[in-house]
This record gives sequence, structure tokens and C-alpha cells, in this order.
Amino acid sequence: MNALTKLIAVEMKLFVREPVSLFFVFVLPIGLMLVFGLPQRGSSAQGAGQHGELTFLPALALALTIGMLALFTLPMALGVYRERRVLRRLATTPVHPGLLLVAQVVVNLVMGVAGAVVTAIGVRYLLDQSSPANMPGFVLAFLLGVACLFAIGLLIAALAPSARAAQSIGPALFFPLLFLAGAWLPRDQMPTVLARIGDYSPLGATVDTIAASWAGDSPALSQLLVLAATAVLGSVLATRFFRWE
Amino acid sequence: MPVIEVEHLHKRYGEKVAVDDVSFTVEQGEIFGVLGPNGAGKTTTVECVQGLRRADGGSVRVLGLDPIRDRTEVRQRVGAQLQESQLPDKLRVREALDLYRSFYRQRADIDELLADLGLTEQRNTAFHKLSGGQKQRLSVALALVGCPEVAILDELTTGLDPQGRRDTWDLVERIRDRGVTVVLVTHFMEEAERLCDRLAIIDAGRIVAIDTPSGILARVGTEHRVHFRPLDELDDSLLAALPEVTGVSRGGDEVTVTGPEQVLQSVLAALAEHKVRYAGLRVEQPTLDDAFVSLTGRHAGRAAATQPPTDKRSS
Repeated sequence: MNALTKLIAVEMKLFVREPVSLFFVFVLPIGLMLVFGLPQRGSSAQGAGQHGELTFLPALALALTIGMLALFTLPMALGVYRERRVLRRLATTPVHPGLLLVAQVVVNLVMGVAGAVVTAIGVRYLLDQSSPANMPGFVLAFLLGVACLFAIGLLIAALAPSARAAQSIGPALFFPLLFLAGAWLPRDQMPTVLARIGDYSPLGATVDTIAASWAGDSPALSQLLVLAATAVLGSVLATRFFRWE
Repeated sequence: MPVIEVEHLHKRYGEKVAVDDVSFTVEQGEIFGVLGPNGAGKTTTVECVQGLRRADGGSVRVLGLDPIRDRTEVRQRVGAQLQESQLPDKLRVREALDLYRSFYRQRADIDELLADLGLTEQRNTAFHKLSGGQKQRLSVALALVGCPEVAILDELTTGLDPQGRRDTWDLVERIRDRGVTVVLVTHFMEEAERLCDRLAIIDAGRIVAIDTPSGILARVGTEHRVHFRPLDELDDSLLAALPEVTGVSRGGDEVTVTGPEQVLQSVLAALAEHKVRYAGLRVEQPTLDDAFVSLTGRHAGRAAATQPPTDKRSS
């Protein structure tokens, strides 16, 4: 385990040395929350529908934090490691290059959780949002959302022919997913088919289940199952198709 | 027992044969060169030795082990420097060494290694701020950080300036002096000539010759060339009649005489005897580059082909 802990420690240092990643994780989600959340909350009349739910924006901010790490940072980092033959270099040592992937996932997970905690605390005090009412449901929804999005990120890393490609596939996938989650147009105003797709899309299901548990309801079982299934499928395909060079 | 034994190695990628039939042995403590033009199969050969690729035919033994079956043990004892391998931009020199060191059973002293490779001042420098030569030295340091018995260095000096190249050569000799067996993959003839105890010339997936550099030169029997400008009247047939001379030609006012090693002596004697004064005397000795051309019918690499005439070796 010594090599793995060293790898994780080094990857953590490298992550912290990238101001852009830190900004994505710790500043952007909470910034978006304040920009969009404050005016909405200031208005006396809360609208109805998805965007009227008090927990929608906080849930979206958490999903955003994880999504950016999973779909931008992780595939990009792995693409660069493959392109620069770091994985190949590692293969000449007694350590399996797979450990570097493990270390990358661990570091992005840790940063994702840290970012989510910071965002949640920020929401709690800056927007005066109460803490998640259904804590077990909230944790479960969060973890499944993380697993699902990271599996997709790993699949991008596995399939992208280059780091540059990974860098464009991530956002090309992220913004449609954000749209499907109802970030711009609330899902209740979308055509039914699109809204149903949105319900079971990775970010949509993550946002819904987190928002529901935050409000104290039970997250929808079907959405949790879809998240879990996507996570398993994505990881299996990523493992199957990953190229080391 | 030889450190590395390769017998009838064969490797293809789909339809393309990368290594056709390659056999050689590397002995304890030598610098063994694997030489050949780009695409000759050098890198594939050493990748099979490292266990990075599975051979399609033949056998490879490293320190008596099978590099595929005993891969972990082989990797503990064989350090590798890969062609064009990089590190993360913001990883610092010391951190990289400390990380790679943790992968091995035997661990070199980092400060000593840094000093040996002239990287002490750069120990806290991020990878992307290193010069080409410093990156290359770090790459070598990473190959040595596990105290390997064998170091495989692939295209070590490609992209370095002449000074950087010479420094790296000194470094390779120091590695050998520590008792490490070195396998040096290169397409620079000058590098192989300067460093290798023995070398294998590979072309199109096959071994063309294995010998010491001087053995290869002798085997090819490439001729020396004597150039000079006669200041007095000189009849070319006078030189052509000398037993050692195989050819006389004139380009402008310069005369070029070819022949085996003794040709210089006989030409000078003949010039003295006939009281012919001369200027601009220089001798071109055969180089491995010439030997390579004569063995394979083509040049090893652009860089080797653009070397200036090697008259400095005549003195």
C-alpha cells in the first residue's frame, strides 16, 4: 500500500497546485448559488414547479461540483497521463499503472466531497437553507450520483483518443446533461418525453434524489436504481476499453 | 550467466512485422548498444525485454527470469528510461524521485542521486520548468532510483544539444562504473561508437551485426580517406601505383586518396620522396556511420549523416 498512498499524496498535491480545479470545486458552485439563489429567495412569491423547490438550487450546486470533477478534471488528467506516457513509464516499474487511476479517482472523490461539504455549508448559512432533513437518503443519493458521474468520466477517459478530445467531450456532454437536469428550463415546462429522459439522466436523477432527501422526502427508488446501474455499466465499459497508451 | 538472453525474438503488430528474428546476449557490467534506423525494431525489442510486450515467438530471459511471467521481479531489478516519457507539469524533481523510489525494494539515496546527476539545484523545480537536458537526467535518475542491476536507456540523447549529449554520455559511463549493466538504444552512430562495449545493429527487424565497435569497423573494412592540396606538380598515377592505394580522385585542387589504414603513411612517404609539398592535409577514418551504410545500404539517421568530417581523429 505504500506506493498507493504515495501516489494519492502526490496526486493530491498536484490537484491543489492547479488553481483552476480549486476554483471549479470550491468557488464556482457557491458563486452560482449566490448569483441565482439570492434574487430568487429575495422575491416574496416562490414560483411553483421544479425551480420553485427550495432545495433545487443547492442540489444542483452539489451535482455541479461532482459533475465538473468527474467530467472535466478526471478525463483530462487521465488523458494527459496517457499522452505523456506517464502510464507507460509506470508500467516499467513494479507498480501497476492502474494504481495511478485509482489514485486519481480517490483524489477527485475526496475533492468532490470536500467541495460538496463547503458548498452545503455555504448554502446552509449564506442562503439560510436548513440542513438535509433526510440525512441517510441524502448521503445515499449523493454517493450514487458521485459513482454514476465518475463512471461516465472514466468512460470518457477510456474512449477519448487524446487528452484534447477528452477536454472537449467532457463539456460537450456536461452542458446537455445540465439542460436535461433542468438547470435552465425547469423540467415541468419541458415536453413530456424530454422531461422523462431528464428524470433518468445522470445529473437529473442526481439533482432530484438529492433535492428530495434535502427537503425530507424519500428519494425515488427508480432514480436511485438508474444511477447505480449507470455507475456499474460505465465502470465495466471503462475497464473494458481503457487503453494504457 | 548473461544478464539478458534474447533468442529468435519475433514480434508483429497485426500484419506488420516489427521484429523478425533477433538474438543477442548482454553480459554483466557492459554497455550494450542496440543500434538502427527509426522503425528498425529497436524499441519493440527492448520492450519485449522489459516485459511491456509479449513476444510472438522466441524467448527472452532477463537475469534468468521471464519478463512476462516474473514481471514484478524483473521490474524490481531492471530500471527503464522510456523514449519521450514525461511527468506531470507541476511535479517537482525531488517529489518525482521520492514517489518512484517508493515502488522499489532497494532504494537509492535521493540526495546522492541528485548530486550524481547534477540536479541538486533543481530538486524543488517543477518538471515543466526544467530544460531538455535536465528532464532527460531526471528520467535517467528515475530509472536508477530502485538500484537496478540493469538499466535500459531508450533514445537518451535525442533532442539534446551537443553539450547536453556529451554530459549524458559521461553519465552513462558513470552508471556502468557503478556496476549497472546498461542497454543503450540509439540511432546515433557517434554515441554508440563512444559508449558501447558491444553493439547490435538492427535493420528491418533483423540483426545485421553484433560486435565491438572496432570489430564492426574491421569487419566492414571501410577505407580511410586522405585529402590534401598539392602545392607542386603531382602526377596522380604516382600515387595510384602505390600498393596500398585503392583509388585516387581530384575535386578542384584537392586530391583524395583511399585505402586501408596504412594508406596515409605510404602517401606521405611518396610525397616526400618526390618532393611534393602539400597543404590542408586531413584524414577521414571510417566511422560506424560508414559501416552502417555498408551493412544496410542506407543511413542510420539524419543527425548521424550531418556530422562534420571527422578529421580530428587523425591526429
